[in-house]
Amino acid sequence: MCWQELWERRGCGSGGYYTGGGRQRLDRFLIRIVKMSLRKQTPSDFLKQIIGRPVVVKLNSGVDYRGVLACLDGYMNIALEQTEEYVNGQLKNKYGDAFIRGNNVLYISTQKRRM
Amino acid sequence: MQTSRSKKQQTTNTVEEPLDLIRLSLDERIYVKMRNDRELRGRLHAYDQHLNMILGDVEETVTTIEIDEETYEEIYKSTKRNIPMLFVRGDGVVLVAPPLRVG
Repeated sequence: MCWQELWERRGCGSGGYYTGGGRQRLDRFLIRIVKMSLRKQTPSDFLKQIIGRPVVVKLNSGVDYRGVLACLDGYMNIALEQTEEYVNGQLKNKYGDAFIRGNNVLYISTQKRRM
Repeated sequence: MQTSRSKKQQTTNTVEEPLDLIRLSLDERIYVKMRNDRELRGRLHAYDQHLNMILGDVEETVTTIEIDEETYEEIYKSTKRNIPMLFVRGDGVVLVAPPLRVG
């Protein structure tokens, strides 16, 4: 699907035209789509990029882990450092390494500085 | 002549996998979080890529939440048992870590 179709689908092609904050968000969204389609193997590249960064790992069970990504593999097995576990509120602190089995992982996301 | 290397080191230039780092915990006490609200603390004797594990001197903690019908408060109950030697099937494992310091 090319960005042109997306553009029209969003109602910007004919008649309607987003302005202000909505337009900026749309632009950023489309730029990301274009960048991703120019790169090959985005998931593996992403996984290599985020090593060493603070990440949020959400499990299928809903439990949240925040820590620094030490390493991971193609099964999404994860090794984290300085990990904190969140279930609704904060539960446990794990210092040192925590290994998470990949089949339980729902997503891995980078943490922005504003928390 | 090869210099002697410890069993845990490998000649590798690539980034270690998470499983390589578990290897560092062999023969150490570890904490394992499993599905169905279970936790294990024991000594890791062996593991494989599925995270099947052999644990020795294990203490298993099963946590249940009961809800009082009248007050609707959540009551956390945990049941513990000790097992001298245990085979853990990997698909139940959620997380492996060094034992938690009291926190």
